[in-house]
Amino acid sequence: MNIKAEAKAKAGSQIKVITGNAAAAIGAKLVRPDVVAAYPITPQTEIIEQISKFHANGEMDCELITVEGENSAMNAVMAASLAGGRVFTATSSWGLVFMYDAVLATAGARAPVVMVNVNRETPGIIAVSCGQQDMISTRDAGWIFLIAEDCQEVLDLVLQAYRLAEDYDIQVPVMVHYDGFYLSYLSEGVDVPFQEDVDRFLSVLNDQPERTKLVPGGKLGCGTHGILGGYLELRHKHVSAMERSKAKFEQIDKEFQEIFGRSYGGQIEEYRMDDADVVLVGSGSMCGTIKTVIDEKRDAGVKVGLLKIRMYRPFPGEAMVEALKGKKAIGVVDRSLCFGFKGGPIYTELKAFETQLDGSKMVSFIDGIANTDITTANIGQMIDATCDLAEGKDVREVTWVSYPEAQEEGGL
Amino acid sequence: MTGKKKGKLTKVLDYLKHEDPFSKGVAFCPGCGLELLLRFIPQVLGNDIVITGTPSCSAPVLLGQNNQSWHTLSYFGTLMTGAAANATGLARYYRKAGIKNTVVCFNGDGTAADIGFGNLSGAAERNEPFIYICYDNEGYMNTGVQKSATTPYGASTTTTPFGTASKGKNLRRMNLALKMAMHKIPYAATATLSDLGDLAKKLLKAKEAKERGFAFLHVFAPCTTGWGYAPENTIEVCRRAVKTNYFPLWEAINGKIRMTKTVKKPKPVSTYTELMKKFAHLNEADLQILQDDVDYEYCMLGGLSTLEAECHIPESVED
Amino acid sequence: MSPNKFFKHEGPWSDANDPLMCSDTGDWRTKRPVVDKDTCIFCGFCAIYCPIQVMEMVENSHFTPDLAFCKGCGICAKECPKNAISMIAEGDF
Repeated sequence: MNIKAEAKAKAGSQIKVITGNAAAAIGAKLVRPDVVAAYPITPQTEIIEQISKFHANGEMDCELITVEGENSAMNAVMAASLAGGRVFTATSSWGLVFMYDAVLATAGARAPVVMVNVNRETPGIIAVSCGQQDMISTRDAGWIFLIAEDCQEVLDLVLQAYRLAEDYDIQVPVMVHYDGFYLSYLSEGVDVPFQEDVDRFLSVLNDQPERTKLVPGGKLGCGTHGILGGYLELRHKHVSAMERSKAKFEQIDKEFQEIFGRSYGGQIEEYRMDDADVVLVGSGSMCGTIKTVIDEKRDAGVKVGLLKIRMYRPFPGEAMVEALKGKKAIGVVDRSLCFGFKGGPIYTELKAFETQLDGSKMVSFIDGIANTDITTANIGQMIDATCDLAEGKDVREVTWVSYPEAQEEGGL
Repeated sequence: MTGKKKGKLTKVLDYLKHEDPFSKGVAFCPGCGLELLLRFIPQVLGNDIVITGTPSCSAPVLLGQNNQSWHTLSYFGTLMTGAAANATGLARYYRKAGIKNTVVCFNGDGTAADIGFGNLSGAAERNEPFIYICYDNEGYMNTGVQKSATTPYGASTTTTPFGTASKGKNLRRMNLALKMAMHKIPYAATATLSDLGDLAKKLLKAKEAKERGFAFLHVFAPCTTGWGYAPENTIEVCRRAVKTNYFPLWEAINGKIRMTKTVKKPKPVSTYTELMKKFAHLNEADLQILQDDVDYEYCMLGGLSTLEAECHIPESVED
Repeated sequence: MSPNKFFKHEGPWSDANDPLMCSDTGDWRTKRPVVDKDTCIFCGFCAIYCPIQVMEMVENSHFTPDLAFCKGCGICAKECPKNAISMIAEGDF
C-alpha cells in the first residue's frame, strides 16, 4: 500500500461528480466560515447559490450577507475578518474590479480573507468568457494568489488558502483563482474530504497565538493612519509576510498530503521536467491539456516538460529558477495581456530572472484570451516553436497563438 | 455659598452617563459641530461602542496615527465607498460569535448621501443590526467645502461657487433621512445639536431599535469654517434651522413618521440663511426658491406623519 | 516576523491602552471665556454645548473652562442664558 492509498484509507472521503464552482462552495462549507458575503456574477454565481442552499438547509451555520454589490461583499468580509471571524467571498472579473478599493484595504489591514475569483475577461470590452486578465488587474494589491488547474484542486486550494491566510506568521488575504467557463461549469470527479479531516487540517491554527481582533471595549482601532516610518514598517511587514508565505505554502502542501493523500508540490508543480530540454510554463486549466500534449510529444521523443504555476503572488521566482535552470528553451503561456509590454505578464516577470537561468532562451505565447480554446494543436505548435528556439532557430518573441493576424507583416 | 439665585441643572447632563473617551486636545476647528456630536455619542451610548469612520473631517481624530489614538473607543477606519458594509461585517460577526455589541457607523453626508449611499441603502434593506449616523454638514468640508447631495439650493461651495453666471448650487437638496425612513427600518430620525435632549433620546432609541435591525440617525451638524459663520453661532444655526423648518425634527418607526418637535410659528428661512456666508449672495427671489423647497419638504413630512395607514411588520423583523 | 517599532501589531492598529495623543489646543485661543461666578446660575448649558466638553463644575456652584484645551469658540458665552460668560481677548491677560 503506497502512502497515498494509506492516507486515503485513514482519512476517508467521497468521490462526487461536481463543477468547479460546486467544489469551491463545498470547500467554503468545509472550513466552517463565520461570515459569507457575496454578490452574483457570471461565471461565479453557482458558488453563492450553492452556499445559499447549504445555509437554507441548515448545513452551513454562518452569517450569510446577500450584499447589494461586490464592493460591499469585500468590505463586509474584511471587517468581519478583523473582528475575528473566518470569512469567505467569491467574485469574478467586473465584480473584482468593483471591489478594488476594498481589495486594497483588506490587504493593507492584513485581514486574512479568503476569496475565490473565477477568472474572466475584464471591463473595456464586454466578454462573457474566460481569461486571467482580472487576476492580472489585481496582482499588485498585496494578496496571495493561488491558481487551480482542475476541480479537485479548486476544493483543495480553498482549504489550503485558509491555512495560509490565517497563519499567525502570514496574515495576508488569499485569492484562489480558477478559469471561468472551463472549470466553473466543468463537472469532474472530485474527492470530497470528510468534515472531521478538514477540521483536523485547520486545527493547527487554533494552537497559534491569537491575531489582533477588533472587540467592543478593547481600545484598539484598525485603520489608523500610517505616518512616515510607520507606513514603511507596515509595508515592509507585509512584503516580508508574503515572502514567508512561499515556504509556508510548501509546508501546508506536505501537511495536506499527510491528511488527504494529495500533494501538488507547493508553489509550482513540475510535470516531466527532470530530463526536459524545453519547458512550457503555464497556469490554470490549460495545464491539463498541456500535460496530455507533453505525453504525446514524449512518445515521439521530444524532451518537453511543464512548469505549472500554483502560486502567482508572491511570484515563485526562486522555485522557478531552480526548476528551469539550464533548460535550453522556455515557452511561457499567458492567458492575459500585459499592457505596455509586448509579452504576457508571466513571461515579462520571468524575464527578470533570465540571468539566473544559465542561458535558457525564452518566448511568450498569448492564448486562451476570451475563451479562444487552448487546443492540443495550439499547444503542439507552442512546443514546436520552443523546440525551434532551443535549436537556435529564429522564433518570434511573442506569438498570439489563436490570432495569426497579429503575426502578419508589421505586427508585434 | 452666596445667596445667589440658582437655576436648575439641565437634564441633558443626565443623559451623559459615560466618560468622554476622547483626548481633550483634538484637531477640530473651534466651534465645530462635529466635535460636539462625536464627544456626545459615547457619553450617551457608552464607551463600548465600536465606531467606524471614513476619510472626512472626523478621520483625523477618529483614526489614529501609527500606534497612537485620540480616544479609547474601538474603531474601524476605512473607505467611504463601503462604510455601511464594514459595519455590517462587524455586527454580523459579533452576532454570530455571541459578542454583545453596539456598532455605530459614523459618516458625513458625502459618504451617506453620495459615494456610500448604495451600501447604506443595501444595509438598510437587509435590516442590518447596527446604528448608522450621518453628521450632515451639507458638503465635503474636509476637502475644502465642495457640494454634496445634501447641499441646499443656492449654497456657494468650491464646486458650486457663486459667480456672475452662477447663484451657487442650482439644485434642490436630497432628503436623506426621508429616503432612509422609506426603507421601513426599525428606526430613522433627524436630530440636531441645539436639541441635545432630543438627540440623546434618539440615540438611546436607536440603540434599542438596532436589536431589531437597522437604525438611522441624521444629525444636522453645521460647519463654521465651510459655511462662513462665527464659531460661537454653531448652536444658534442649529436652533434656527429647526425654527424655520429648514431641518425639522422627526422620527420614523418601521417607516411610520412622527414629528418629535413641531414649530408653532415657523420663521422665514431668511432668518436662518442670514447667519452665514454661503447664502450671502442670494437675493429675495433666490431665497424664495429655497423657502419653497423647505415648505415643500415640510408639507411632504406633514402628510406622511398624518397617514392613517399602518404598515404591516413581518414577524421576523419584530422579533 | 518583522520588528515592531512604530506599531505594536502586525497590521495598521492603534492601541489606546497606550497614552492618548493630545494637542495643546488652548494655544489656539484668541479669546478667553471668563465666567462671572455670581451671575452663573449653574444651569449647565455652557457645559453641554461646549464642543470640547471642557466646562467643569466647581463646587456645585458654577462652571469654569479648562483653559489648557478651550479653543475659545465662544459657544458657552453665546448660549449662557444669563450672559455670565464674557469672551476677553487673550492679549488682555
